[in-house]
Amino acid sequence: MNRITNTYLSLLTFLFIPILTLWNPKFISLMGVPPHWSIFWLFSWASIHGSFNGILAGLSIGIVLDSLSNHLYTQIPGFVICGIIFGKLSIYNSKNLNTFKFGFICSLGSLICNLLYFLQIIFHKFFEVNISWVAYGIKTISAQVFMTAIIAPLVCSWLFNIFNKNNSQNFSSFKGDSF
Amino acid sequence: MVDNRRISSTRWWNKRKFWFFILFLSTIIFVRFSKGSIYKDFYYIVSKPFWPGQFQQEIIQESQYKELNMKLIQLSKDNKRLRDILKLQSISDKSKISASVISRQTGTWWKQLILNKGKKDGVEIGDAVVGPGGLVGIIENTSFLTSSVKLLTSTDSKVGVWNQRSNVHGLLVGLGTNLPRLVFYSKDLDVKEGDFVFSSPASTLLPPNIPIGIIETIDAESQSTLIAVVQLLAEPEAIDWVQVLKIQY
Repeated sequence: MNRITNTYLSLLTFLFIPILTLWNPKFISLMGVPPHWSIFWLFSWASIHGSFNGILAGLSIGIVLDSLSNHLYTQIPGFVICGIIFGKLSIYNSKNLNTFKFGFICSLGSLICNLLYFLQIIFHKFFEVNISWVAYGIKTISAQVFMTAIIAPLVCSWLFNIFNKNNSQNFSSFKGDSF
Repeated sequence: MVDNRRISSTRWWNKRKFWFFILFLSTIIFVRFSKGSIYKDFYYIVSKPFWPGQFQQEIIQESQYKELNMKLIQLSKDNKRLRDILKLQSISDKSKISASVISRQTGTWWKQLILNKGKKDGVEIGDAVVGPGGLVGIIENTSFLTSSVKLLTSTDSKVGVWNQRSNVHGLLVGLGTNLPRLVFYSKDLDVKEGDFVFSSPASTLLPPNIPIGIIETIDAESQSTLIAVVQLLAEPEAIDWVQVLKIQY
């Protein structure tokens, strides 16, 4: 039972991403903007399992979150790029990543995802956007990047523990990918 | 000495009664010249506990509300009868579904609410959602138990509205910010800041005449069209309960 729990715990945490995104607790938000919850999982997962797994995970998260939002714009490119970047970190020993780096890398990922989403809206609404709209966009991105950086050390440390434990027991076939 | 004392006690200015009379007289004169203000003020203080008070005021207000409510019901009936004659859309109390907000995405790029009523309760895609103040959005997706609301602030949102004061129709376009833009397809129109915006009676998507917002500013720089910024009446950030309105044809 314990083995089964450990094996599937990382996948169970994946299932909590959309739940947490929908819950959107007010007490963990800045100006109504929550942290980028999915980035925490993607960072922890991809930096242990490599870029290929990172791409797959990014794609999965993007598809799930796009299905929740029903918008014209997609989050998939942002998550896939983040999956690649985070996966490159798997060549380093994860113990070398300290809490400051967790915050910095996650906020970078959040910035990439937000910018790509922002650019899609600009491209679609090119003739309708004005300066106040751009200001709103900058506010939203800044708030989310900041919140992600603040929360990342706490959540990522916990996720790294879970994924490392699972990784040692259930070694991934994609561990040695040459992406 | 004795004689002197007697004489002084019999003098008129040494008599107490005289001074009482003077005091009384001057008081009467003061009351006369102040037009009884002392009496009135005294009466104010004394009678204060016995005033009609809040209770009677509430009775009057309640009767006024009842009167207004009766007028409103009568006007609604007239309106419904006329709309039936013209075969326009309408809504009734039976077609309202109360729902609570179980998820709120208003701060990020997503602008949506998730309600605790879905297909099971008769909610359908395209139904209008109103909260305290006015229109919040439109149902864009339903599951068996839940439904998601596309807010008016969403970048995908476009609804037909009208300025009731000047009977001018326009299109309310969400930009992702909290202030959607109202586009009128003509430049020289009678539109002012502070005008109320309602859902258009000509709209096929929404029930007619639902309050939406107030025109906050008018963009003077736009060339061919008149563009206004609208402050919404219903604030999705603070709404916990909404009503889903089903359109009846």
